[in-house]
Amino acid sequence: MKNKGLGEFEELVLLAVCILDKEAYGLSVKREVEKHSGRSILLGAVHITLYRLQDKGLLRSEMGGNTEKRGDRRKRLFTITDAGMRQLRAAQDVRRKMWQLIPQLKLGL
Amino acid sequence: MKTPEKPKPPALANWLASKFINKALLEEFFGDLEEIYKDRIAVKGKFYAKCMYWVDTLHLMIGFTSFNLFKTQNNHTVMYKHYLLISGRNLLRNKVYSFINILGLAVGMGVCLTISQYVYFEWSFDRFHDNFQNTYRIVTNEIQGDEDHVYATSTFAIGPSAKETIPEIKQFVRIVMVGATVAGPDSIRPLNKEFLHMLFVDNTFLQVFDFPLKLGNKESVFDEKFNIVITEKTAHKYFGADDPIGKTLTVGGKWTTERNYTVSGVLEDLPINSHLQFEFLMPMESRPGAAIGSYTNSDAWEWDNIVTYVTIDEAADLEAVSKKLDRFIIQNRGKRNTHHHVVEKAVLQPIMDIHLKSGSLLHDYLVTSKGNIQNVRIFSVIALFILLIAWVNYINLSTARSMHRAKEVGIRKSIGAFRKQLIIQFMTEAVLINLTAALLAISIAFSALPILSGIVGRELSLSFLQMPVFWVSFSSVILLGSLLSGLYPAFVLSAFKPVNMLGSGKVVRSGSINLRRGLIVFQFLISLLLIAGTYLVYKQVTFMKNKELGIDMEKILVLKGPRVNLDEANLKSIMQAFKTKAAGYHSISDVTSSATVPGGRAVYGYNSFRKLGEPATQNQDGNLIWGGLNFPEVYDFEFLAGSSFTPEMSNGDGVVIINEEAVRVFGLGSPENAIQETLVRIKGNDVLRRYRVIGVVKNFHWHSLKDGHIPYIFSFSPGVKHFISFKMNLSNIPESLAHIEKTYKSFFPGNPFDYFFLDDAFNKQYQADVQFGNLFLAFTTLAIFIACIGLFALVSYSATLRIKEIGIRKVLGAGIANLMILLSKEYLVLLSIATVLAFPAILYWGGSWLENYAFRIDIGFDLFVIPASVLALASIITVSYRTYATAKANPVDSLRKE
Repeated sequence: MKNKGLGEFEELVLLAVCILDKEAYGLSVKREVEKHSGRSILLGAVHITLYRLQDKGLLRSEMGGNTEKRGDRRKRLFTITDAGMRQLRAAQDVRRKMWQLIPQLKLGL
Repeated sequence: MKTPEKPKPPALANWLASKFINKALLEEFFGDLEEIYKDRIAVKGKFYAKCMYWVDTLHLMIGFTSFNLFKTQNNHTVMYKHYLLISGRNLLRNKVYSFINILGLAVGMGVCLTISQYVYFEWSFDRFHDNFQNTYRIVTNEIQGDEDHVYATSTFAIGPSAKETIPEIKQFVRIVMVGATVAGPDSIRPLNKEFLHMLFVDNTFLQVFDFPLKLGNKESVFDEKFNIVITEKTAHKYFGADDPIGKTLTVGGKWTTERNYTVSGVLEDLPINSHLQFEFLMPMESRPGAAIGSYTNSDAWEWDNIVTYVTIDEAADLEAVSKKLDRFIIQNRGKRNTHHHVVEKAVLQPIMDIHLKSGSLLHDYLVTSKGNIQNVRIFSVIALFILLIAWVNYINLSTARSMHRAKEVGIRKSIGAFRKQLIIQFMTEAVLINLTAALLAISIAFSALPILSGIVGRELSLSFLQMPVFWVSFSSVILLGSLLSGLYPAFVLSAFKPVNMLGSGKVVRSGSINLRRGLIVFQFLISLLLIAGTYLVYKQVTFMKNKELGIDMEKILVLKGPRVNLDEANLKSIMQAFKTKAAGYHSISDVTSSATVPGGRAVYGYNSFRKLGEPATQNQDGNLIWGGLNFPEVYDFEFLAGSSFTPEMSNGDGVVIINEEAVRVFGLGSPENAIQETLVRIKGNDVLRRYRVIGVVKNFHWHSLKDGHIPYIFSFSPGVKHFISFKMNLSNIPESLAHIEKTYKSFFPGNPFDYFFLDDAFNKQYQADVQFGNLFLAFTTLAIFIACIGLFALVSYSATLRIKEIGIRKVLGAGIANLMILLSKEYLVLLSIATVLAFPAILYWGGSWLENYAFRIDIGFDLFVIPASVLALASIITVSYRTYATAKANPVDSLRKE
């Protein structure tokens, strides 16, 4: 159970956190993932995933960055941990290796 | 004028979330939610943003509560998780039944919620004042012989003198209403005002009532004699976006020369649940024609059409205060009352009762739209009934289906389930269904509310969703529902012996059939009562609308008479010239004027009359109405004796035409005898005027048929100008209107041209009854719908149980019709039992409702037959849809197994 690897959505969220670099909180992650994947996502789903990733030790977080638009409330800013980075890379490696194994002919399609 | 409101996310959602989500997480969630909310408002509008806010909040709630719940993995939580899982699977496995269960419950609860909001609104009247519990209106109870009337009014003196001498009375305020025109600085013509909206009040008004001031100082708004306080809406009407403070309004009208008032305060718009609805407040001292100066003058005790409110010390004994007030009345009005043989008492009416419990009060001009405690009660009962029907559905279905689950229970028991655990399992299912239904019900209530507002004619909102009290009671309703609907199946099923359940030969009795039958009879009974109610209301309203009134109201156009720029000295001849000119047009056959028109309130109230020569004990109330020439002709009164007014008569002659009821009440003998008799009008102890009867007309319905006949005295008054009635040919209304308007403008320049058609105005009196009927119809339809889907599910279930029997019967040659009768006759028997039971209830309730109406329909046989046929039809359609399918099925399919 422990090292199950990343789910697809978890991977997207992790990537978004990396892209946003210190500006990653619930809403910005939601927007980033929506922007790249083109599907619409519920805010709650992002929050749940962020917390799950934090529980797995792939993310860490701190509070900060209140703006007036949020009714002067702070955000929880997420950053990726080393373990998180390793998992992402591992996922990427798996994919790359598998891509390379597809025969050239099929790639043209 | 208003700055655009700052977008506020739904507070209710936040409140809910704060109860479920861990405090530490709330800050960032709310932040995110608010940010996304603002974005959505900008892109897709407020409604979308609100909906999505709810979706997001609920999602977060579900996400983050279950998170915590299932993290701990001890035995109990595992079991609960298991119960939930199994319940969910059961719901999904029987989609039709779950759907029917949940839908029925949701509709039931939704209706219940909507009605509760309505009831809450009616109940909430005047409870927004800080001191509402200690604020009372002094109303007057007059007992004269058999007659016992309560008047909403009291005397000019009682408020101030009571405050002075009775220490428990902390404060008082008096209100006098007047009719006037009010002109702003820019308006060329004065705006016509309803007289209800202009109040002369004591300067304590804002101490007794909590209407918050938007502009102005609470202590000093009434400091100057000619100050005026207006509401925000009125300010906007007269001054637009300008600051109204210090501006001038010109108040004028029949009773006074024009006066300038300075705006000293602006009230926030009045809450709709206030019984006082006004636009202008003026100090009592500025009241024009104030013949009575101080309340200490003796005639201040005679002036008795004042509305008085008092605040009373919290600790005071009300009984004692009333006694003191009574003693007061005896001191000051005792002589007058003894003379009239009247016993007069002061009654303290709590202001929170004014809206709902003033139905029988006389002279209650201040209260514009009264509620009706009876309707509120009826609807509360209906709400409860509908909820009960929905619960009955659930109980019926789940006990009926219990046989299906007998095997499951048997297996659970044999592998060691305790009875308690089985009960919890069934209860979990009940809670799950009730909870889902409750969530759906809230959204149903949201969408049903605008419809209800439309029917009731008031803007309602689900305001009580924001009150914790509501959630507590709502949760207890859900809990109670789950208990009621889950308990029976839980205990019956868990009590079975596993051997019986698993053995093949034995038939498991699926709950008590009698209980189920009883519940169906109950459902039928309630549906019958509701249908009968709808039919009764409908029939009574139709009866009232179609009844021969004795007055011709069709083809009559009524014009509100001139109020300003009048040449008072020559008014009579001007009026006459106007009428002649107007009547000269080809489409207008007759013109008259009068002080009020049928359906309108008697502005001058009731007057005391008696036959000349009788003692004061014979004083009776009569409705005095001033009518001009041709008045009886325009309204087509039927003369029983004597004749109508003639042009030769004049105002001073004091001639009157009375109705049959007046002949009876004043003891004038037969209509023929009444001619040339004299009536005297009384005020206080004095004879005010004598009237000679020149004609008697047949009784007619001047007001709605709710009221019985009362004595009418039409006094000849050629110059009266309040309402001008035109009897006209309706073939070319615009042309006739244009003619009247042109003539009117040339005779009375500067007066607004304000008209209505009499029959429309008259039928408005029945609006409340029509609304009541519509609401009844809506709720009845829903109740029948819920009962029918329950019936449908039950029939389909019992049909599947008997599928083998039907197969065999079919093989042996039974026809489809036979089988359908076989399957449905049980329900028809139950329906007839319900009909018999409904008999006395309809008789009793129908009779007591009809007692509100002086002229009413009889309760006939159709009142039982029609509801029973409607219900029979509905249930036959429901049942036969299902039985037909069962009866048509190929017997091979049902018999080949085993």
